[in-house]
Amino acid sequence: MREGVYLEKMAEFAALLRHEGLTVGLRETEDMCRILSELDLADRGTVYAVLSSLCAKSREEQAVFRRAFDGFFVSAEQRQALRARHEAEARELAQRRMEAERDLQAGGNPIPLREDLQEVYVRMGEDKREQLRQMLEKTRGNLERNPKLYGNFIRSVFMRFLLEQQMAMEDAAVGSESLDPDLALLYRDISQFRETDIPRAAALVSAIARQLDAELSRARRGGGHSGKLDFKRTIRRGLETGGTFYRLSYRPRRQKRRRLVLLCDVSGSMLQFSEFALRFLKSMSEVSESSKTFLFSEELCRVNPFALQNMDAFRDYVRSSGLYGRGTDLGKALEDLCAQRPGVLGPSVTLLILSDTKTIDVPRAARALLEARRQAGKVLWLNPIPQRKWPYVRSIQTMSMLCQMAACSTLEELSSTCRRILQG
Amino acid sequence: MDISTLKQKLDAQGYVCDEALAATLLVALKLGRPLLIEGAAGVGKTEIAKVMAAALDRPLLRLQCYEGLDESKALYEWNYQKQLLSIQVQMDRTGPDALTKSLFSDAYLLERPLLQSIRSEVPTVLLIDEIDKADEEFEAFLLEILSEMQVSIPEVGVLRAKTIPFVVLTSNRARPLSEALRRRCAYLYIPYPDLDKEVAILRSKLPNVNEHLAVQVAQAVHDLRENEGILKKPSIAETIDWVSALEALGISDLTEDARKRTLGFVLKSREDMEASGHCGACGHDGP
Repeated sequence: MREGVYLEKMAEFAALLRHEGLTVGLRETEDMCRILSELDLADRGTVYAVLSSLCAKSREEQAVFRRAFDGFFVSAEQRQALRARHEAEARELAQRRMEAERDLQAGGNPIPLREDLQEVYVRMGEDKREQLRQMLEKTRGNLERNPKLYGNFIRSVFMRFLLEQQMAMEDAAVGSESLDPDLALLYRDISQFRETDIPRAAALVSAIARQLDAELSRARRGGGHSGKLDFKRTIRRGLETGGTFYRLSYRPRRQKRRRLVLLCDVSGSMLQFSEFALRFLKSMSEVSESSKTFLFSEELCRVNPFALQNMDAFRDYVRSSGLYGRGTDLGKALEDLCAQRPGVLGPSVTLLILSDTKTIDVPRAARALLEARRQAGKVLWLNPIPQRKWPYVRSIQTMSMLCQMAACSTLEELSSTCRRILQG
Repeated sequence: MDISTLKQKLDAQGYVCDEALAATLLVALKLGRPLLIEGAAGVGKTEIAKVMAAALDRPLLRLQCYEGLDESKALYEWNYQKQLLSIQVQMDRTGPDALTKSLFSDAYLLERPLLQSIRSEVPTVLLIDEIDKADEEFEAFLLEILSEMQVSIPEVGVLRAKTIPFVVLTSNRARPLSEALRRRCAYLYIPYPDLDKEVAILRSKLPNVNEHLAVQVAQAVHDLRENEGILKKPSIAETIDWVSALEALGISDLTEDARKRTLGFVLKSREDMEASGHCGACGHDGP
């Protein structure tokens, strides 16, 4: 009956875990109660190990479980300290909100800003707020002379500044880095990788590609047989059972080969992403067997696959090709690709474009993209710019109307997009 | 049994583990839940099943998974040759119905590890090694045996477990396992050991080891694992091999020269050798 002592508490904890996204059923709750009452555990670390083995069934889930456990099982002193900290934070936030109300005024009237942007102002650093205050101070005279004109001007400057800050804050929020560095890297913007992160990221890419390879080859094989009898094998196996066809053998389903043409932007801003994306795709044996790769900035250049075997060789290759550090002309690159003889595009080809869409002469690029779409079976665009920023980039809006575009700003997004491509 | 008793038993088998690990093993044992163990290669996942079998004094049954593994290799198979012989011998003596019935009896059943484990009269430890290498269909097939401790054989019916085996599944995370399988198991992730634990493992596996050398090697291996450039991190078995090799060569101090001569025991590729560059234990620059 001692299980009852823990029942209420464990039911609450299970509800919290469910809220955090873990699959915790009645059986787990019952097991937790049973084991706590039977083993009479005194050490917090041991309780953690026992409960996590029952409720968190992967490394990712263990990270979530750790947070929930630390939040739920706290001593009275810890709870008091936590409450005091929260109260102090709430007081500081209230103080900042009052200051923000005072600051976000032009000519005595509040600047009309969205609520989330007002919150960005409250939470951003003192130096950044000071910049805005100074700007407001400088335009004070103009505002008094022409309130309507300068009111709109100030609002647009504030909007832009605060949007930039919001994006910077989102980029900086790298999640649970302290809990699991590999997981954090998986969800971080590739363009934000530091030099020291790159070897770890490269190892992670190889691991994910291996995993994906295994998954996809299994998925393909798992499709069963073609339905046609394999006479030779059936007769051979029949000999084992004295000529009785006890077990029938069927021919495997014929596998459709995919051909990929990769078009990679290697201009300054794109080099890091292209490196990772290419590395990813090349690590996957299914892709590397049947793909052709082209690099472009202002010109198009076909790549020798051996040059992409490792990162250093890739960087050297790009630098020696003369493409690095130049502008981006997607239109010309696509036109050259479509004009290749013998043709590289065709109905069975998927054209994969790795680019941030920032190119000169967008209309020409759009025309060339339409032609490429006509020639290739499918066109898919991998865009390293996070999807939340797409509405602010006009060229992305244009290109995404012409072909399917996938956001690949993190390794996690990149892997799920690759999975989608290969599954057809 | 309590945690400290289990820990003592594991220690007696030469398996160095902390209280938390022993507690997790005991929980899986008490609840009769299969234990799914994940972790990098060479951290001692398979070893857990072996030492648990020895510690609990149970027979160990091992099923090594691979692509294409099916129920005929994992669960049971009918002995076709014996059935055919039996038909020819008994055709004139027995009626067809009785003959057919006799062909699908225990005498013709070839038991594979899964069936052996649940039909055993004494409780066993069942190790399903590298489950991530098996196909998804096989994973789905395991669900019945893991959750209900029973199997269905069409010709015989449902066979329920006579004794509940302690099931250990290991995975190197080569592919994600299904949610259904995970839900049925208790879960344990084993990271690489920290410095103290690795020294303790060396002491346990090599009782006469030179203490100074053990610490130096453990530190060097720890540094190699920290090195982001090394793709295949050294396993615990390789650490033990390295110390054994050094002792066999009569080396009691891990100097730069000794490291260069014996590094092949822990790093098994040219790229990893090149990336190792610096040895933390002796503080010299590598080649």
